[in-house]
Amino acid sequence: MTNATASSAILSHLHRADGSATFSQNGYTVIGAVNGPIEVQRRDELPVEAAIDVIVRPAAGVGGTRERHLESILQSTLRQIILIHNFPRTLIQVTLQITNTPEDKVAGSKIVQASSHLAILPTLLQTALLALLSASMPLSVIFTSVLIAAHKDGAITSLTPNPSLVGFESADSVHVLAFTLEGKLLLAESQGTFTLDDWDNILEMAGSVCVPKDGADIEGGVRIEETKEDMTTFVKCTLEAKVAQDLHWYT
Amino acid sequence: MTSAAPQSTLTFPRETFEKLSPHPYLLAHLQQASASSPPTRPNGRTPEQFRTPHINNGSLTHAEGSAVVRIGDTTVVCGIRGEILLASNVAGYRVDKSGTAPSTKPGYNEAEELDLLVPNIELATGCSPAFLPGQPPSTLVQSLSTRIYSLLHSSSLVNGADLRIWYQPPDLSDPDRMRDDEEEDTPEPEVKAFWTLYVDILFISLDGNPFDAAWAAVLSALKDVRLPKAYWDPDREMILCDDSVAESKKLQLNGLPIAVTALVFRAKEAAQSKDKRFWILVDPDTFEETLCDESVTVVVDGEKETKILGISKAGGTTVGSGQMRDIMELAAKRSAQLSRILNT
Repeated sequence: MTNATASSAILSHLHRADGSATFSQNGYTVIGAVNGPIEVQRRDELPVEAAIDVIVRPAAGVGGTRERHLESILQSTLRQIILIHNFPRTLIQVTLQITNTPEDKVAGSKIVQASSHLAILPTLLQTALLALLSASMPLSVIFTSVLIAAHKDGAITSLTPNPSLVGFESADSVHVLAFTLEGKLLLAESQGTFTLDDWDNILEMAGSVCVPKDGADIEGGVRIEETKEDMTTFVKCTLEAKVAQDLHWYT
Repeated sequence: MTSAAPQSTLTFPRETFEKLSPHPYLLAHLQQASASSPPTRPNGRTPEQFRTPHINNGSLTHAEGSAVVRIGDTTVVCGIRGEILLASNVAGYRVDKSGTAPSTKPGYNEAEELDLLVPNIELATGCSPAFLPGQPPSTLVQSLSTRIYSLLHSSSLVNGADLRIWYQPPDLSDPDRMRDDEEEDTPEPEVKAFWTLYVDILFISLDGNPFDAAWAAVLSALKDVRLPKAYWDPDREMILCDDSVAESKKLQLNGLPIAVTALVFRAKEAAQSKDKRFWILVDPDTFEETLCDESVTVVVDGEKETKILGISKAGGTTVGSGQMRDIMELAAKRSAQLSRILNT
């Protein structure tokens, strides 16, 4: 792993929000804030569950159709993991502000805003999860996500987790996958040209990046050397460090 | 109430049952399966059964290409209009072949860089009670148009070469002169303008599965597009179009990707419950869409061996690798059916 793709996170740094997190990965940085359960507007109120409102703000300009699409993906994913039936007739609001996107070295091409929505999706998902954890929101399960680029070279397809911007744009297909802690597939977004067998390989690799090795039943004993630690371990370590820091007076 | 005695049976007509408790209503339908008859949805289809598509091309006279697609009670009109974008109006457009030009970058897509394909979706036409006319675009509309936009580009359906308008400068060098120097021969042809295709998608009625219908309409309309012959007039310094139909050209589409959506209906709404039964319902209608969280959309191109051009799955953990294979098989069947209709 190079420095640019390494993940880093800060938890609970916004003091007025119920929960907050900043997460950087792969050149993207997103600040997330969670408020909830709070009062909900009458028209959005749901009688037996909490309404989830996700707001995505781009790094530059105001949100467009692409942000609405990302919001709807995030909303349907977060609904599955938050215990929404515990908070009927309330609102849980997740605000995500993109603050940094990888710079495009090549002059003359369009700003990153117009490029595919898939590159930013794992970072948004991960930030939302960390912010929810920071808000102590009851969750049924946590998830981790990864971006994978597949390059076709004849019959061989090489897979790169967390590709650079150039690697992303030149890829034959790009995939965002999110897994729950039990290794179940929660979200899959793929673009480009590929076959079902490629997809199975990608699924296997993404599983090994996302889910700890011992608990994964989807992994077929294949070692992938690119990543030393999986995303679940990263989330765990981040939380443990934060808890240790907050409880330093206790010992 | 006249009598205090509880009624022995409580019976409703179907419609009341559907309105009062939609989830058990759909569940009751799907559970009825016996050995002889497969489970049936309230709309009379089996879970793997698609609605019959009807496609009509060229209904709009003023569009370069158009299509009306009807899938059950979902009806979509798609019209494509071509407009001309002058290369001189593109900021920083360069045609040089040097290594620094953006056009030599891997993964460069001219149609995407210059926004030559502009899809827009309109749902506020009174197509369904959920979308009232005169309101700002809903999340669904914005999400759909993003998906159409990214699929148009990621599938590279439209050939970038079809959208360029070339000009061959006349050879003004002295014809009598001996051709002794090889370097100075006929001037290079240059791109003077681009066709920009405005893809407008209007829903006339909506009964579930908007993406599949919209994509089928876009595909059919693109197949119908005839662009007139456009050329650069050096004297007037503008692009002119030829009137004759014989000179006009169809677009060369790369493949024929078909979108297929399926929903996962779970026997119990809560994720933690013991009852893990589920049904995969393809081509859902509005009633089914309100009851299912998890949706899977696959885009397949079955012309050669089945290629996948996109998967998008969200909202649940039921579908794994195995279920995806089943959905792909269904999608391949649907793709064969739709491409037969599209190609006639």
